Amino acid sequence: MKIRAIIFVFCIIFGFAFSASAQDKITVAVAANFIEPFKEIAVLFETNTHIRPEPTFSSTGKLFAQINEGAPYDVFLSADEKRPEELYQKGLSGKPFVYAKGEVVLWTARKDLCDAGEWKAILVRSDVKKIAIANIETAPYGTASMMALKDAGLWDSLQGKFVFPQDIAQAFQYASTGSVDAGFCALSSALSQQGKAGCYLVVKEAPGVVQAACVLGRTGQRAAAGKFAAFLLSPEAETVKKKYGYK
Amino acid sequence: MDLVALSLSIKLAVVSTIVLIIIAAPLSYSLVFHRIPGRSFVEALINLPIVLPPTVLGFYLLVAMGPKGGIGSAWEGVFGSPLLFTFTGIVIASIIYSLPFAVAPMKASFARMEPRLVENAQVLGLSPVAIFFRVILPNSLAGIAASAILVFLHTIGEFGVILMVGGSIPGKTKVASIAIYEAVEALRYQDAWLMSITLVPVCFVFLLMVNRLTPEVRHGA
Repeated sequence: MKIRAIIFVFCIIFGFAFSASAQDKITVAVAANFIEPFKEIAVLFETNTHIRPEPTFSSTGKLFAQINEGAPYDVFLSADEKRPEELYQKGLSGKPFVYAKGEVVLWTARKDLCDAGEWKAILVRSDVKKIAIANIETAPYGTASMMALKDAGLWDSLQGKFVFPQDIAQAFQYASTGSVDAGFCALSSALSQQGKAGCYLVVKEAPGVVQAACVLGRTGQRAAAGKFAAFLLSPEAETVKKKYGYK
Repeated sequence: MDLVALSLSIKLAVVSTIVLIIIAAPLSYSLVFHRIPGRSFVEALINLPIVLPPTVLGFYLLVAMGPKGGIGSAWEGVFGSPLLFTFTGIVIASIIYSLPFAVAPMKASFARMEPRLVENAQVLGLSPVAIFFRVILPNSLAGIAASAILVFLHTIGEFGVILMVGGSIPGKTKVASIAIYEAVEALRYQDAWLMSITLVPVCFVFLLMVNRLTPEVRHGA
């Protein structure tokens, strides 16, 4: 009896494991700042074309390193222009195009902090003990945050407060759970459902983040991948991007 | 090469090992010699970190040690500073993560001890504490050393949990495994190579020592 029950359970588990549909799908490497808009755009694209885009979310630099080592993605949505351009120069991708322009904000779950009116004023407060900045090498939003801090002359003096999450989504996660007092995040996170639970101040000193995408050379689904790339610039996708503060 | 990260790994391993041996010795002792209600539950709980994905442990610790979590808020209440993303924070994470590796060899060596030694000590009127320090400890030094080395190595090799609760702060929580990971992701392969190659012989030598300390079981001897 017991054995039968175990076999039954295993059959169900294996059934689920192998029931993945035979439907068309493409895999998309997505920079972490674009998680929320990507999910909405993917649903729209799937209803239009019946092709399912399956995302891998990470920092731009990590995805770039994976692609360099031959990761089997079809499309790459980067958070900078530099890395897609480099892939293109190496012959690993099609010509990159800009799909979004993002902004760096300082987000905090403590709404009282935003009364300061200026992001720098928040950082220097003595009750602000930890500040999240995404990995300054692999996350373009982290690099932009660092440049703003250097520009403001705060990079060295505030070192003791900085925590370095792996990507911009983790920076927002640290800030929204209150693990840090404030975090340098993408405007898209601040405008998301979760982001509304806190408040943000725009970091004007940070250079705007120009985000490029490209279809990767290794793709076995060139037509579907091309369709998705084109869809990123469609009016429907633009509406979603605008909602999350991209220009 | 990130020497700060390498030395931080060693510092973390040394601190965790010392604290864990102090915690694990009495724990293993009572698991072997005392009748504890629900002993199998306690043992399963201690062993959980072996099977749980480090991400699960890391996630729970992230929540518990955060300013709103039980441990985190209690800590901040007592010491006035946050616990998450600090060296103390990753020491606590390492202790929980490596506890089973400290308990297992110690338990084995306590259990292997000649029961008559303990009985004689009891007959001669030694208190349980005296028996622990004067009879059991001196007779299980090899087991304790094996525990210490295993914990040391396991802490050096720790990655997932620290990735989640460390925050990669240079000199405080950015240990060697994290520094190597970040170097690889940033395509700084030379750094990654140098740091990795320093870790391999260190770990190998320590493992050899574990083998020497734990008595071999020979089949057919």
